[in-house]
Amino acid sequence: MAYNFVNESISYDSFLAIDSVTLNIQKGEKVALLGKSGSGKSTLLKRMYELQKHSSSYIPQELGLVNNLCVFHNVYISQLDNNSFFYNIRNLIKPVQSEINDISNVLKDLLLDDKLFIKSINLSGGQKQRVAIARALYAKKDILLADEPISALDEYLSKKTIDILTSSHETVICTLHNVDLAIEGFDRVIGLKNGKLLLDKRCEDLTKKDREELYYAVE
Amino acid sequence: MLLSKNINISIGFFLVGIVCFLFADFSVSTLEPFLELKKFTVAVFEIDFTQVSSLIPALLNTISIAVVAMFFAVIIGFVLALVFQNFFVRTTLAFTRAIHELFWALIFLQIFGLNTLTALLAIIIPYSAILAKVYSEILEEHDKYPKELKGESLVSFYLYTKIPDALPHLISYTLYRFECALRSTAILGFVGITTLGYYLSSSFMQGYYNEVWLLLIMFYIVIATIRIWFNKYSVSFIVIASFLYLDEFPSINFENFIRFVTSDIVPHPIRTDAGLDKTIAWFSNIFTNEILIGVANTIVLTQIALVLTAILALITFPFISIKFSNKFFRGLSHIFLVILRSTPEYILAYIFLQMFGPSMLPAALALMLHNGAIIAFLMGQQTNELELRLDVTKKKNELYLFEVLPRVYSQFLAFLFYRWEIIMRESAILGILGVATLGFFIDSAIADFRLDKMMLLLLVTAILNIAIDIISRKIRDYLKVEQSITSCGCSLK
Repeated sequence: MAYNFVNESISYDSFLAIDSVTLNIQKGEKVALLGKSGSGKSTLLKRMYELQKHSSSYIPQELGLVNNLCVFHNVYISQLDNNSFFYNIRNLIKPVQSEINDISNVLKDLLLDDKLFIKSINLSGGQKQRVAIARALYAKKDILLADEPISALDEYLSKKTIDILTSSHETVICTLHNVDLAIEGFDRVIGLKNGKLLLDKRCEDLTKKDREELYYAVE
Repeated sequence: MLLSKNINISIGFFLVGIVCFLFADFSVSTLEPFLELKKFTVAVFEIDFTQVSSLIPALLNTISIAVVAMFFAVIIGFVLALVFQNFFVRTTLAFTRAIHELFWALIFLQIFGLNTLTALLAIIIPYSAILAKVYSEILEEHDKYPKELKGESLVSFYLYTKIPDALPHLISYTLYRFECALRSTAILGFVGITTLGYYLSSSFMQGYYNEVWLLLIMFYIVIATIRIWFNKYSVSFIVIASFLYLDEFPSINFENFIRFVTSDIVPHPIRTDAGLDKTIAWFSNIFTNEILIGVANTIVLTQIALVLTAILALITFPFISIKFSNKFFRGLSHIFLVILRSTPEYILAYIFLQMFGPSMLPAALALMLHNGAIIAFLMGQQTNELELRLDVTKKKNELYLFEVLPRVYSQFLAFLFYRWEIIMRESAILGILGVATLGFFIDSAIADFRLDKMMLLLLVTAILNIAIDIISRKIRDYLKVEQSITSCGCSLK
C-alpha cells in the first residue's frame, strides 16, 4: 500500500485545509485528484510527499526551477543526492557527455531537447513546466506526485505528458483541473471540496451524475 | 499616517541640522577664496594633453592595487558571508567596517611602512567586511527553490540552487564595490602611497591646477568605462596583469607587527605599570580634551551634511528626470552628477580646503555634493519609473509638489538613511584635513606617535558609527521605508 489516511486532518494556523479524510491508495494506481483551487489538493499532495520522501518525486505548482541555470542543470538537480559532490561540481562546470545523452532522451519525449542549454529564465511558461516534469522523470522514483503539471500545456501536449508520466512511474497521483483528461488518462479519480472527500471512484464506475458533480466541483 | 511620520522625522532632522549649524565653524579663512577658485576653474582650459603619458603610471598603479585588493576581498568576503550569522563574526565585522580605509592605511603605515602591502591591506580589510555583510544579505534574499525538493547533499544543492539564483546580483554588487575600491585606492595617495591621490595633492600644492584637472578627467574616464574594460572576458587577464604590475613587496617585518599589537597600542600608563590613578587620568584627559570634542564635531558635521545632502538631492533630481527636463538638459545634468558622484568626498574636500581654508565649510560642501549627487541620481531613476495619469497637471512646480514628491518621498528617506552611516564615516575621516572631527585627533595622535591614543580614538569612531547604523535601522523600521524601495539599497552601502 502506498498511502493510507484514516480521518486525516491538516490545518494551517486556524484554517482547516484537509478535514477528516479517509483514503487509501495502492501501489500501481494512477490517481487524478480533482477540485477547485483551495479545495485542499495541494495540501494533500504535499502531505503524501512528506510521508514517502525517498521513494517519490514531486512537482510543485510553482515548479521550483533555478532561473539562472540552463535546462540541463535544472533536470540534473534531481540526481544531486545520488552522485558524489565532485561529480556534481564537474557537471556544473562542464556537463558529462553520458548525462547529456540521458537528459536529452528524457527531454525528447517532451519536445524540449533543442532547449538543453537554454537558461530556464528564457523559456515560456509551458516549456518551464515541461522542464519541471523532466526533472521529476529523471529522478527515476517509483511514485510521482504532481501538482497541476499540465496547467500551461496545450491539449496535445497535455495528453502526451500524462501518458509519459503514468507510464514511467509505478504509482502516480496528479492534481488536475480538467475532468475529461482525468477520466481519460487515469484509473481512479478523487474529488475534493472544501477539504472534504467529495467522490472517490475508479473511472469505469463513474456514473453520469458523478461526472456532473465533478464538473460542478472543479469549475 | 505614513506621510505624517515621514514629515515629522524630516522636520526633526532639519531642526537638529539647524542647531548643529549654530555650533559649527563655517568661516572662510583664506584671503581671496574666489581668486583661487577662479584660477582653478580657468585651469580647465589650460589642460596639456601631452602630459597624459607621464600620468598613466599613477592610474595603472591605482587600478592594479584596487584589482588585487578586490580579488582578495571577494574571496575573504564570500567565505565570511557563509558564517555571517555567527555573533562573533558579525560583531567583529561591524567594527572592521566602521573604520574607514584611510584609517586602516594609517594603522598599517605604522607597521609596514609606506608600501603596496599597506595599501592592499587598507582596502582588503574593510572591503572584506562590507562584502561579507552584503553578500550574506544577497544570499539570504535569493532562494526560491522549494525547501521540500532539497535533498541531503547540502553543498551540492547550495551550488545548484542558491548560487546561480544569486549570481547576477552578487556580480553587479561586486562591480559596484570595485568602482568604490578604485575611489578608495585613489585617495590612499593622500597618505603617501603612489596612487592617483598622491599625484593629485602634489600637483595641487604646486599650483599646477591644469594637471589636477587632467588627473581628474582621466579618473572619470576610467570609472565611467569600467563596464567596458572590466568584463567576463578581460577579468582574468586584468587580475594577472595587476598582480604582475604591483611593486615588489618589501620583506615583512613581523617584529614590527608584534611590537605594534603587544606594546604600541597598549595604553601608556598600563604599559609602564603606572597604577590605576594614572590610567584613569590618562583616559579622562583624552576623554575631555579629544573624545568629547571630536565626537561632538563629527556629529555636528554629519547632521549638517545630511540636511545639505537632502536639500541638494531634492533640488537636483528633477533635472535628470524625463518628467521635468528635456533631453539636452537631462544629458548635461547627468554628466554633472556623474562627475560629482565619481569624485571621492575626500578629493572634493581637499580642493575646497585649498580655496576656503580649514573650517567645516569644505567638508560639509564636499559631503553635500558627493552624497547629494548619488541620491539625486537614484531619485531621478525612481521618478522616471513612476506612471502618472494622462491628465496630470502641466505646471512643473505643481507636478513636483503634488504628484511626484509625495510618491517618491519614502524612497528618498530610505536612500538618505542608508547614506547616513557613510556620511558619518566620511565626516570622521575628513578631520585629517583640519576640521576637529575624530579624524583630526587620530591624525595628530599618529603624528605624535601616540598609537595607544590612536587606537582608543579609532575604537570610539567605530562605536559611534555602529550606533548611527543602529539608529538608522530603527528609523527605517519605524518609517517602514524598506518596503518602498525595489532595489536592496546595495548601491548605497
